[in-house]
Amino acid sequence: MAATIDTGLDFFRQVLALRATRQEILSADIANASTPGFKAIDLDFAAAMQDAMSQRRGSETTPAAPKRLWLVDDARQLPAANATGANVAPEFVKYQTGSEVTLDGNSVDLDTEKVNAGENAVQYEAAATFTSQTLRMLMIAITGSGSSQSGGS
Amino acid sequence: MSLFSTLSISGSGMSAESERLSAIASNIANANSAVGAGGQPFRAREVVFQAASLQGEGDDSDDPSTTGMSGVKVAAVVESNAPTHTVYDPTSTFADDKGYVQMPNVNPVDEMVNMISAQQDYQANLEAFNVAKTLAMRTLSI
Repeated sequence: MAATIDTGLDFFRQVLALRATRQEILSADIANASTPGFKAIDLDFAAAMQDAMSQRRGSETTPAAPKRLWLVDDARQLPAANATGANVAPEFVKYQTGSEVTLDGNSVDLDTEKVNAGENAVQYEAAATFTSQTLRMLMIAITGSGSSQSGGS
Repeated sequence: MSLFSTLSISGSGMSAESERLSAIASNIANANSAVGAGGQPFRAREVVFQAASLQGEGDDSDDPSTTGMSGVKVAAVVESNAPTHTVYDPTSTFADDKGYVQMPNVNPVDEMVNMISAQQDYQANLEAFNVAKTLAMRTLSI
C-alpha cells in the first residue's frame, strides 16, 4: 500500500483525542470532588490506544473503498466522527479503584486527580509538538526546503 | 470537542463551589441573628451537590461508559437540622418568659472547615480550567 501524505498523522489524531477525553474525565472528577456518592473515573489510556492502533492495522490489511467527498447535504455523506461530543473511547472509561471513600460515599482524591491532570496535559502538549514537527517534515518534503527558506525566497 | 466541554465542566464546578461559598458567608454573617425569616432564629444553610450531565440527556444510569462526563450542579439548598443553642439573656427583646433566647444553629468551626474545603475545590477547578485552556491554545498553534 502506497504511503499517503497523512501517514503518521492519524496516530497523533488518536493520541490527542484520547488525551483530551482523559482531561475531560479528570476535570469532571475534580468538579465533583464534593458531590456525595460520586465515584471517581479514569480513562485507561494504554488500553484505549492499543485498541485504536489494532483497529487501524486491521483496516490497513483490507483496504477500504476509496473515500469520496460528498456535498454537505448529500444523504450519502460520511458521518462526522464524534459530532455529538460523545465519548471517544467509552469502553475504556473505568471507575478508579484503591482510593479512599469518604463518609458521604465520594471517592475523589483531589491530589491524585491534580497530578494525573498535570501529567496528562504534558503528554497532550508533547503529542501536539510531535504533530507540529511531523507537519513541518511534510512541508519540507513538499517544498524541498525548510519552511524558513521557502518563506524567505 | 472534548476540550471545550472540559471548560464547561470546570466552569460548572467553579459556579457550584462559589454558591457553596456564598452559603457559608451567609451562615457566618448570620451566626448571631436571633431573628431570621418568619420570626424564628436563623438556621444554617447547606448546599447539596449533584453530578449532572452537561448534555442534558437525563440519563441516570450509573455506568461511566454510557453516561458522558458529568459536571456538577447545586441540587438543593437545605437547612441544617442541628439544634439551636439557647442563651440566657433576660434583657433581650426576644427572651422567653424564663429569660432564654434561641440563637442560630450556626457552628462557626464547621463553617470555617467547610470554607477551606470549598476554597480548595474552587482552586482545583480553576487549575483544571486553565490547563484545558492552555491545551486548546496549544492545539491552535499546531
